[in-house]
Amino acid sequence: MRQPIIELSKVSKTYYLGETKVKAVDNVSLKIMPNEYLSILGSSGSGKSTLMYLIGLLESATFGKIYLNGQDISRMSDDKLSSLRNQTIGFVFQSFNLLNKLTVLENVMLPAAYLKSKANFDVKAKTMDLLNRFGLKDRQNFYPNKISGGQQQRVAIARALILNPKIILADEPTGNLDSRTGPEILKLIEDLRREFKTTIVMVTHEKDIAKRAQKRVYIKDGRVVKKYL
Amino acid sequence: MNQNKFIQLITNALTDFKKSKVRTILTSLGIMIGVLSVVLLIALGLGLKNYLSAQFESLGANIVIILPGNVFNKEAGPGGNFGRGFAGGAHFDEKDYLALKKIPEADYVVPGFTKSGVTIEYRKAKRLGTIMGTNTQAPKLFNFKIESGKFFTESDIDRRSKKVALGWDLANNLFADRPETALNKTIKAGDERLQVIGVIEKRGDPEIDQGVFIPYTTTFGSLNPDKTFFNFALGTIDKENVEALKTAAKATLLKRYDDEDFTVTEQTEILSTVNQVFTIVNAILVAIGSISLIVGGIGIMNIMYAAVTERTKEVGIRRAIGATQKDILWQFLTEALVLSFLGGLVGLLLAGAIVLIVRNFFPAEINLVAVLIALSVSSGIGIFFGVFPANRAAKLPPIEAIRYE
Repeated sequence: MRQPIIELSKVSKTYYLGETKVKAVDNVSLKIMPNEYLSILGSSGSGKSTLMYLIGLLESATFGKIYLNGQDISRMSDDKLSSLRNQTIGFVFQSFNLLNKLTVLENVMLPAAYLKSKANFDVKAKTMDLLNRFGLKDRQNFYPNKISGGQQQRVAIARALILNPKIILADEPTGNLDSRTGPEILKLIEDLRREFKTTIVMVTHEKDIAKRAQKRVYIKDGRVVKKYL
Repeated sequence: MNQNKFIQLITNALTDFKKSKVRTILTSLGIMIGVLSVVLLIALGLGLKNYLSAQFESLGANIVIILPGNVFNKEAGPGGNFGRGFAGGAHFDEKDYLALKKIPEADYVVPGFTKSGVTIEYRKAKRLGTIMGTNTQAPKLFNFKIESGKFFTESDIDRRSKKVALGWDLANNLFADRPETALNKTIKAGDERLQVIGVIEKRGDPEIDQGVFIPYTTTFGSLNPDKTFFNFALGTIDKENVEALKTAAKATLLKRYDDEDFTVTEQTEILSTVNQVFTIVNAILVAIGSISLIVGGIGIMNIMYAAVTERTKEVGIRRAIGATQKDILWQFLTEALVLSFLGGLVGLLLAGAIVLIVRNFFPAEINLVAVLIALSVSSGIGIFFGVFPANRAAKLPPIEAIRYE
């Protein structure tokens, strides 16, 4: 059997909000296989985003283990985790999270600035390639706050793809987009999965969006209540 | 970290600054003022020190100087009671002069009556000069030549004639850049009308170059009603005789004064005392200036803390796409470093400009050491005060940072 690209084993995450203990993720076990398209469905405050950030190595688990390609990430240093986020994972956020003081071109190229060794491909050429493909070529020298939401999200997707990640983590990627642009972005992400064989984990609160994935996990109060496989 | 990456960090910092120019200027203002004051104070202190050293060095060798007061009082520290010399030390007079002249080792005995800041007039031209009441041995002992005309003679001294030799600068200024035309002209110094009979070559020593050399006997009137001398310069042709000359001069003066009332010294001793005094003065000046540097550094720290909070989201985004804690640390540290370095550089340039202006009327010198210290200290302060906010930025939990609004 193939090795899961990500595996969560009895993972819990607790926060303290003042004195109150909040269990955002409670004893979740999950396997995500390479090139899989998984959606995590849940209402607001269900812990779905926390779960995604745990998968994205931005959070560490309070209990349980997270494995990336079979390696236990709890033993990894900040440098190693940063490098994995840099090269293995691409994030797409609801609010785009582009740096407004950098141009579209600079935003897309930014992850390459944190490569520990020189990229083995021409980053600039690849950036231009992606911008071209996403219809953003004439926007390359614009600042993000001067382009539309749909365009910003495409820039964010280009940034997520620039270093050829194995996994794309999308947190409500259509949440800030209108009903016409939203599906376009989803289709773009899905097309990329087919083309680049990336794994996609998408967090959403909309059933219709979640249904597009081959595999769905329904989360409530931090627990997995249903898996549709 | 390799060189390219560092250059990239600096470029990024500069790009950031371009987008918030006012804040950048205000932030580095503190460092700028700090460096400005430190460099300026060093420049003035050093200039004054070099000026005084040059004054003493322009005197010939084998010279023994007699000053009022106890300059080398060890208990009073360097500088001794030099001040007391003016207030309560011996007031030398012609009697002392005649007594000193009797010392066999004294080949030269030159009395010095000095009155500075005297307005010297020739027709409508007015300049400040220094009245130097002395005798005919002064040019030889102090090693200056008469460029045109002549110096006064022994008979001028005997007759108290109102004949003077002018320092080059003074003659040049009073006589419209043609010092040689001063000869035989009558100038006014206070109430005295004096005839110019000579112009002394340019020495680079302001006291001589602005001097009005006059027979000491002639000053015994409105210029020097007390008929006193400020000092004596004794010279011996044979260097071997310097010690004997000092001993004899001391013995001569002890007949009239207490040990505390006068000082017999060589110019080298005075020079080292001046150097000591100014080393201390400079250190104090630098210490005062450094306070403003530290205040400037705290200003940078303050703004950087605010910047970290303001840019929490940016830190979160950068962390999400692969920046390590070290990357973030370096990013903020570089900004603090560049800010303070630029502030220091501007302060330095301003100090340089001010020194160029001030030089016209006050000795001031900028030396390489001061420049290097200023730039390295300002950068050092940037690093020191930048580390805390940068560290805070680096330690921000990525998830909280990215959720920060």
